[in-house]
Amino acid sequence: MAKKPKHVEKIPLFISRSHVLTETNKTGSWRFVRPIYLEKTAPCSAACPAGEDIARIEMFFNQEQYEDALKTILLENPFPSVCGRVCFHPCERVCNRAGFDEPIAIHAMERFTGDAAIRNELKPQLKNLPINGKTVCIIGAGPAGLAAGYFLSRLGYSCEIYEAQSEPGGILRWGIPQYRLPYHILAFEIERIKKCGVKITCNTPVTQDFLENAKNRYHAFFVGCGHGRSLKMNIPGEHWAVDGLEFLNRLRKGETAAPLNETAAVVGGGNTAIDVARSLVRLGTTTTLVYRRRRQDMPAFEDEVHMAVQEGVAIMELFSPVEIKEDDDGFVLFLEQMKTSSMKTDRGRARVIPTGQPVRHLRTRKIFTAIGAELLDPWLFPLQKSDETLHLSHCALTTSDPPFLFGGDLTNTIKSVTDAVASGKQAAMALDIFFKQGRHAVSNRLNACRVGSGPGLSMARYMDEKQPAESLHIVSTDNINLDYFSRAPRVEVKTIGLDKRIHSFDEIKTTLTINQAVKEARRCFNCGICNGCDNCRIFCPEIAVKLKGNERRIDLDYCKGCGICVTECPRSAMELQEER
Amino acid sequence: MKQVLEGSHAVSEAVRLAKVQVMSAYPITPQTHIVEALSEYCSEGIMNARFLCVESEHSAMAAVIGASSAGVRTFTATSSQGLALMHELLHWASAARLPIVMAEVNRALAPGWNIWMDQTDSLAQRDTGWIQLYCEDGQEVLDTTIQAYRLAEIVNLPVMVVLDAFFLSHTFEPVDVPDQNLVDGFLPSFSPRIALDTSDPFAIGQMAPPNVYMEMRRDVQKAMEQVPDIFAEVEEEFFSIFGRTYGRVEKFYCDDAQVIMVVTGTAASTCRKVISDLRSQGEKVGMLKLKMFRPFPTDLIRKHLGLVQKIAVVDRNFSFGASGIFAQEIRAALCNCPGHAPVFGYIAGLGGRDVTPDTLSEIYWKTKHCDAPEDESIWVGLMD
Repeated sequence: MAKKPKHVEKIPLFISRSHVLTETNKTGSWRFVRPIYLEKTAPCSAACPAGEDIARIEMFFNQEQYEDALKTILLENPFPSVCGRVCFHPCERVCNRAGFDEPIAIHAMERFTGDAAIRNELKPQLKNLPINGKTVCIIGAGPAGLAAGYFLSRLGYSCEIYEAQSEPGGILRWGIPQYRLPYHILAFEIERIKKCGVKITCNTPVTQDFLENAKNRYHAFFVGCGHGRSLKMNIPGEHWAVDGLEFLNRLRKGETAAPLNETAAVVGGGNTAIDVARSLVRLGTTTTLVYRRRRQDMPAFEDEVHMAVQEGVAIMELFSPVEIKEDDDGFVLFLEQMKTSSMKTDRGRARVIPTGQPVRHLRTRKIFTAIGAELLDPWLFPLQKSDETLHLSHCALTTSDPPFLFGGDLTNTIKSVTDAVASGKQAAMALDIFFKQGRHAVSNRLNACRVGSGPGLSMARYMDEKQPAESLHIVSTDNINLDYFSRAPRVEVKTIGLDKRIHSFDEIKTTLTINQAVKEARRCFNCGICNGCDNCRIFCPEIAVKLKGNERRIDLDYCKGCGICVTECPRSAMELQEER
Repeated sequence: MKQVLEGSHAVSEAVRLAKVQVMSAYPITPQTHIVEALSEYCSEGIMNARFLCVESEHSAMAAVIGASSAGVRTFTATSSQGLALMHELLHWASAARLPIVMAEVNRALAPGWNIWMDQTDSLAQRDTGWIQLYCEDGQEVLDTTIQAYRLAEIVNLPVMVVLDAFFLSHTFEPVDVPDQNLVDGFLPSFSPRIALDTSDPFAIGQMAPPNVYMEMRRDVQKAMEQVPDIFAEVEEEFFSIFGRTYGRVEKFYCDDAQVIMVVTGTAASTCRKVISDLRSQGEKVGMLKLKMFRPFPTDLIRKHLGLVQKIAVVDRNFSFGASGIFAQEIRAALCNCPGHAPVFGYIAGLGGRDVTPDTLSEIYWKTKHCDAPEDESIWVGLMD
């Protein structure tokens, strides 16, 4: 051991030192701005028609609270497994992570959450309003009608759905092929809706007489019958063509035998046309898709078009059918070549006009049409523009007695499954407000529940009025402190091989594994929400951020308004406010 | 155990043996190898220490000031621009009486960009209250770093261990790396006289009004004045364990010398050879190697240079508008010695230019043949 140096005592050590507590120095008096915790809207949530709180869902995943993640989805959407498969996921297009590396795989995460509930039979209890004694009649058990029933039940209404077909599901059951949406997935989620108390009566087409009689028995009606009649091409020989929707319907019923080694033409560019073409490929048919505009103008989801081409569907773009004639060995489809003009249609697409070139012949064994659909029974949607009717973004509400709601494809501009869910939700909220506060209150109250400036409404916020409405500000990449994130590749969703794809109706995409899902959730910026990272507290030079349980608050006696907490918040969940 | 180490890693080894607890540094050539090795020691668990990554040398010094205030043993290393950036906090470290040890690799300041040997960076910090020790070779830099902790923790002043860029930092030599238990015997764990303590909270470094400030500064100087004696004791004990000693200055053939050359750093090694050669030719020449620059060894300068005929100071640095900094300090130390020898100030080897045996011989002969310096500073080895 070292000997003690003899000089130590002689070395003076006089420095400024104080035992006076700095608590007496209330640095809060220096402040002219104050930090506040203010959650904002993530761009994904604002883009989601169902208004799902995606940033929070991913946060729960990251914290390995899977049931809370599921609950957070179910608050806004009864169909996580369905939408995790068929939604066109506008959320991913606006993901702030795209400005950093790649967007979060929100679509695949939603599917994982829904499927985990199926696998583990999770049935989380959601908070519902007490039963209010009112009964609503819902016409059509498609996604809009089912969603309306789900949300109305949770708001305390008794719901009875009448469905013409033998099973509920509408387009989900009869229109979307198995390889995109397996039956058992849909069945599980419909079962969940039934468990909420929704009564579904199938094989019961609603007639005018039925409706007249029912007006005495129900307090309100929701019409979500969808578009059941395919549009006509209005060309000679049209009767030779097969209705694409009808074909898909028979396919799901198991009625269509495989017409091997045939050729077929499918006319149309929407999702139904793509579904028909891809189903035909799976039945061994060489398929050509004929579309009068360009490929990029197709209303079908780009990903679906891409996969159709992968699977061997040929696309003839800018060809418009003019006639069908019978041939020795099938049919001849006469096609007029089109070109784009500088004019735009009312939907913003380039108008197409004939080029005047000679008509082309397409010889084929079968011709299918899928150029859109319209209302099957016009008397179900007698709506006129009138002051008495409230026309909302995803539904319409008449103020007759009893009130009628119209939703789903009848009213939606974008005819997607998730927009149908949005329609059912908006209708449920609108009706509830109408009954409780009257017609005049509907728009304002709905506006207060909007998610950012987006199309979606928050049912969570509607049902819990105490919950503070988050800021409408939509978080941009500029609002994220990117220093706290490192680049990481987006999870890759596995698909079955192309060979297996074109020879079966097996589902193409697989569900993420739990490890993949958690890893993907870690990539999420959690834009605009506090995930308890504690940076504000760690960096506060005045130790003015107090933590109690999971709640953080600013001790304004000492917060001098330096703003470090706001700068160091990685996800823009704080704001500086000027002192008034 | 003898190992072939580059000078930088001799420092890293010393820091490891000193069981430093907190380190923080920002990379800069030619210092980077030192902290590179240390960060690996931390990540591999060879050292039980925290390595704080920071965004600048200013922050690195701030970080070790914080850690040292909390009573742990600290280390940082830098060079050139990095040291200049630390300037403000160098004053803080010494006035807060924190025993921080820093390795400072002598490198030229820009512009023009130059990563090579030059002493102006460390000498420009001479008034910041840091003890400065200049080293000649890998063994000395290892030993000095270990000694620096003993010294710093007794006098409560920070120590800068200075080594030449590349000539020392990047040159491999056999170095005796002592056993941990021997170092532990020499360097006990740090027991601070003042340390922040959450169980007995107090504040340090706050307002010091005119009625106390002067006394605080006088105390820094009083501690500095104790350094020569304490350093001697530390060296004596180090010698008893490890068998090596260096001294604040080292005399080489000085006793009968008529001309004494004053040299620092690695140039001292070159000078030893030149002196031996000149001695064999019958020249009465000696060398005084200056190791400790702060506190300045005025007593030893007067003792060893007071009676010699001529003094030749080799400065690898320059204070613009004045002269070489070592020459300046030596003149100041001698000014009250009646009849002291003329001080020839030579400027050589700036920005990494070699100081060769020829350079040093030229300096000797010039000094011998002139009765008095032709100029305040004589620049040697210029190419224009």
